[in-house]
Amino acid sequence: MWLGLLVRVLLAVAAAALVGLLTGHIGIAVALVLAALLIRQLYMLQRVSFWLRRDRVELAPDVGGIWGDLIGLIVRLYRRKQYHKRRMRQLLRELRHSTEAIPEGVVMLNPAAEILWFNRSAAELLQLRGRGDIGLRVDNLVRRPEFVNYLRSGNYTSPVVVKAGGVCEQHLQFQIVRYGAGQLLLMVRDVTRQAQLEAMRKDFVANASHELRSPLTVICGYLETLGQDDTLDPALGGPIQEMRRQALRMTAVVQDLLELSRLEAEDGTPRGETIDVGALLARLRSDLLARLAHPPDVQLQVDSSDRLLGDEAQIHSAFGNLLDNAAKYTPAAGNIAMRWWRDEQGGHLAVRDTGIGIAAEHIPRLTERFYRVDAGRSRASGGSGLGLAIVKHVLQRHGASLEICSVEGQGSTFSCHFPSTRLLPAA
Amino acid sequence: MEAADFSHHTSKRFNEDLELVRAQVSAMGGFVEEQLSRALTALVEGDSELGKSVASQDFKVNGMEVAIDEECSRILATRAPAAGDLRMVVATIKTITDLERIGDECEKIGNIAARLATVERPLDRYREVKHLGRTVQLMVHNTLDACARLDASLALQTARNDRIVDEEYESIHRQCITFMMEDPRTIRRALDVMWVVRSLERIGDHAKNICEYVIYMVHGKDIRHTSLESVERQLKNHPARE
Repeated sequence: MWLGLLVRVLLAVAAAALVGLLTGHIGIAVALVLAALLIRQLYMLQRVSFWLRRDRVELAPDVGGIWGDLIGLIVRLYRRKQYHKRRMRQLLRELRHSTEAIPEGVVMLNPAAEILWFNRSAAELLQLRGRGDIGLRVDNLVRRPEFVNYLRSGNYTSPVVVKAGGVCEQHLQFQIVRYGAGQLLLMVRDVTRQAQLEAMRKDFVANASHELRSPLTVICGYLETLGQDDTLDPALGGPIQEMRRQALRMTAVVQDLLELSRLEAEDGTPRGETIDVGALLARLRSDLLARLAHPPDVQLQVDSSDRLLGDEAQIHSAFGNLLDNAAKYTPAAGNIAMRWWRDEQGGHLAVRDTGIGIAAEHIPRLTERFYRVDAGRSRASGGSGLGLAIVKHVLQRHGASLEICSVEGQGSTFSCHFPSTRLLPAA
Repeated sequence: MEAADFSHHTSKRFNEDLELVRAQVSAMGGFVEEQLSRALTALVEGDSELGKSVASQDFKVNGMEVAIDEECSRILATRAPAAGDLRMVVATIKTITDLERIGDECEKIGNIAARLATVERPLDRYREVKHLGRTVQLMVHNTLDACARLDASLALQTARNDRIVDEEYESIHRQCITFMMEDPRTIRRALDVMWVVRSLERIGDHAKNICEYVIYMVHGKDIRHTSLESVERQLKNHPARE
């Protein structure tokens, strides 16, 4: 290529020199030919530049030689670029279409919480408007205090549900995810239906338990009278006793269900009564000893006179349930130890028993409603299966946690840990 | 036009300060909206606990007002804003005063709702009050939207809604008087209801004021004490100022 070009230029110069020799003006002839060559190259350069400026690949000048090669290369580069551009654009369009179609609302935010982009569902759920809202801070437009606090907290581990209220008729769930360099992805879901279903479930449990209570009272009453009736066939005595026992158990279940649904219905933090834990535990202990025919040995150790802030009725029920549980699974020869103390982390109550214990695989599920470690044993002891669920709920409402340690055959320890904000030094 | 108004500053910090104040005003507005919604729920559903809790939360609104006020004074003192920025700061100072008053009216409604929850409820379950409440809620919401988007036309439209609020107020007023004449035993309750609708009407007025500040902020025109028709005429041949 390069060689051919050189040969052609040399040939032209040689021809010019020959003509110059004949005419006697070598210099002028060579100069003229060189000038002609230069002008041709400049002209070609000009054409290519003109064509490139027009930016129309179809109008490429049809020339041969090195300029034709050059033009061919440029056209090929251009076509390849166009192809990639088209593919990228198509991909982007598909991506945008798919995000538009996501039923969840998606809003992209920059680190200052300004809106970069949002999809159609987000526009509908949050009443955002077209391009005008891009660049505005999201908390200027979505002003519900729960959301604003969530956005500002910077802690996005769990989503937040904002209940319907004001002009917004939907329950919305917000979840923020961090991505890239401090950018935030805000996802919004309409959870109105879930919230309604949840409310319906709670209502149903509360109403059903309530409706069951009055007939049960009547049945228990009559069974008690029948049990004392001497004129009846003595063969009926056994069945009536059994019926009575079962009816009482059912009453206990209904009562616990009602208590649970009451706990669920109350929201916000519980009242701040000051509870004397030592006195409360002593009362629970004497109640238990009086109730059981063969009670195990119950020890009480109160190491702190700090008062607990909370709802006394609820705390009473939670602690009572823990003690009842311990008593239920501990033989008369065993013993139960209750201890209340405080340290830097807060206040703690531990109820330790030397009962039959719980296998490790059951421990995580113990606080589920009606969960049975083994079907026979708790029913025989008359439990409702709701005790620990109530304990968990009460503790949750008080910002406390429940810890269960147990070794099968040796006994269990149930500990409640209260935060120090819930404690008050005794006056 | 929109928010770009406040984002062309040579000083990035100044820009951030202004945006932060705007976000604080929005947060305050959001809280006030929530208070209003809770106060109305307390009234309509006869929830005295909720009513009391609304009344006890008003101190937060006051706290927000003081904080924003201080921030505005600081900006005025240290940044010496001019033109659109100055209008924004001035309008913000006025807006938060009106928002605080709306908060006060919500407190009143909450207190009355707590009291009304203990007496017998009327047969219509406060249907009219509920409707008026809904109108006022929407008005406050649109006002805050207009404020966030610097949308003068939405502000103007919302300000016009104040008339509907006034009309509804008038008609509930008359209805209450009729009830009182029919049965003097309802006088106490009717008087309380009248206080509630009075508060709602005041909230409408405050929302209208804020709308006027938004128009002032965007167009640089003070439209207080002028009829809305003439404002509209003026704004038509008066483009938004830079």
